[in-house]
Amino acid sequence: MLGAGVPLLQACGDSGSKSANKKAIADGLEPEAGPLKIVNYADYVNPDVIADFENLYGVDVEFTTINTDTEVMSKIASGAIKVDVQHSMANYSIGNLISGGLLQPLNKSYLPNFANVISSFNDPWYDPGAKYSVPYTFFGTGLAYRADRIDPATVEEQGWDALWNATDFAGQVTVLDDPREALAMAMMRRGLFDVNTVDPEVINQALADLTELIDLVNVKYNIEAYHDIPEGTTTLAQTWSADMILAAAGYLPEGVDAEVLGFWHPPAGEYVVSNDSMGVLADAENPVLAHLYLNYLLDNDVAEKNFSWVGYLPALTKLNADYLIGAGYVPEHLRGCVPTDEEVAEALIFKPLGVEGEALYEEAWSQFIAGG
Amino acid sequence: MTPAVPLPAVSLPVTAGRKRSTAIWATFAAPGVGWLITFFVVSIYAVMAVAFGAIDPILKTARPKWNPLSWDWDAMSRTIDRVLHGDLGQVFVRTGAYIALALTGCILIGYPVAYFAARVVRRRRGLLMAALVLPFWISYLMRMLAWTNLLQPDGYVNKALRFLHLMDAPRNWLNGDSYTVVIGLVYGYVPFFILPLFASLERLDGRLIEAGRDLGASAFQTFRRVTLPLSVPGLMAASVITILPMAGDYYTNTYLTSGSPKTTMVGNQIEFFLQRSSQPQSGASLVLLLMGCLFVLMLYYLVVTIRMQRAAER
Repeated sequence: MLGAGVPLLQACGDSGSKSANKKAIADGLEPEAGPLKIVNYADYVNPDVIADFENLYGVDVEFTTINTDTEVMSKIASGAIKVDVQHSMANYSIGNLISGGLLQPLNKSYLPNFANVISSFNDPWYDPGAKYSVPYTFFGTGLAYRADRIDPATVEEQGWDALWNATDFAGQVTVLDDPREALAMAMMRRGLFDVNTVDPEVINQALADLTELIDLVNVKYNIEAYHDIPEGTTTLAQTWSADMILAAAGYLPEGVDAEVLGFWHPPAGEYVVSNDSMGVLADAENPVLAHLYLNYLLDNDVAEKNFSWVGYLPALTKLNADYLIGAGYVPEHLRGCVPTDEEVAEALIFKPLGVEGEALYEEAWSQFIAGG
Repeated sequence: MTPAVPLPAVSLPVTAGRKRSTAIWATFAAPGVGWLITFFVVSIYAVMAVAFGAIDPILKTARPKWNPLSWDWDAMSRTIDRVLHGDLGQVFVRTGAYIALALTGCILIGYPVAYFAARVVRRRRGLLMAALVLPFWISYLMRMLAWTNLLQPDGYVNKALRFLHLMDAPRNWLNGDSYTVVIGLVYGYVPFFILPLFASLERLDGRLIEAGRDLGASAFQTFRRVTLPLSVPGLMAASVITILPMAGDYYTNTYLTSGSPKTTMVGNQIEFFLQRSSQPQSGASLVLLLMGCLFVLMLYYLVVTIRMQRAAER
């Protein structure tokens, strides 16, 4: 038994050595000449902020755009994308990137602005001690709705059930185009808050509940609530809190007031809060410059400028709800779109489930989008 | 594409000189053969290696297995089971129905246009063809996005219909209705249908039509008994050219229904499994199954065209 285990352990050690041997860069190095290469989603960082960074350090920044976390993961792993910075890692992927040896440990001496980060992110579950990543944005999952069509009191009272009750708004109801988010929502509606369950019975029940929505409210799945709610084509949507901040800031048609936007989320402890993080890739050609970029984005003023364009909240202490409302970025009635420290601390979290666990959710999702 | 009326094959006595020239001509085919091997044979084999391959447990990416002896049939058998006994069957049926309806639409719109351009117009044919090709200048996605704007509840389609008093209340065309998807498919693919059909109708021997009229057939009878049968090869080629991309389409319904589970096509399932899941083998299995279905259609096309060729040679 023992004899059989030794080569196995050695094999594990070998495959893990890529990350184990990779050290953080030394202190006090000069930044490289660039160009700094970054992979990110489209429209997920303010172009003016990038231009400022280019001017400040006299370098060029080049972007590669991707559509999904799975896509960027496979392209980084296969070497199809060679970049310095992964701008927006989903937190359930970070552990895999670390154990796959694809990220390098960060040298915090280059990141004095990390002190600005909300303390809940100092030791995140996906990256203990924040050794490999810094948070970029964070957001909760709730219900966005048209307050001029649905009484906010009704949504407050019904919670997730509001989706199943929205029969008057058939065709204008959406759930997130994301297997974990949508299925977990159906579970939470039934009072099941283990959003990382791999119990096939629970997942199948969630699938059956979601499928009900097809006939009840002609449900759709997408991530377009940030413009479909303000434009009015969607009335009720399961979506991310940041979408309504974004909607209020830039997607209201002329003559439509921000008052029409509503957002409900479950109480702390039952509230899913997720975040995207930035990291430096293990084989980065410009690791020093990459560190400087991360630090730049964590600067309070830079983050505010970026937020004013992106609409997704930076995880910085200064930019809390009071500050953002006072500065006029977020209307008072959408205060709930900014997760509080307590909500972040007690947040429900989507953890990686391994290939077999994820497959359960993906198969269920494939059945849902097939029409049930 | 097969010519409408193929020329009879002429057999000449084979001489040494002819052999050499055959070899020269064969080398001209080399780039095409190379292309076919690289982008058809190898890529299909790569899809098979993914479908019957494994998953990287950490990165959840495909680990293709190139050795057929170690192929794992698990994902394929699960996918086949879902197609035959489960929810994916309806997706295949739905995809087939959309293609059939869209193809009918393409024939109804495309045939008269192609006929008009090929047989009626004489002087401004170049201009007409340029107009037909014009939509290709704009990307397919842009055209679909334009449609979503037009079809919105406050879009121009509703405004126009209400202005003409054809409708009382604005309709939500993007509500996940099948006919919106079919209309989108027809709109998107009809230029692909018209061009090959035009090329075939243009080469149609006008003397045969004249002969039909001379022998006393009415215009309609001539069309039905001469023109239509002669345009079958063109219709077949045009159909194949439109059916193939429609079968893999997934963005038309995504854009035109903003993601309704009621209009999912096979392409959407492939996109989900390949791009956004940790089960690329299931996506690759679906690709192979879809190819299997299309292969049957292609086989039918080949059999029919070969038969017609033989009939023409007789």
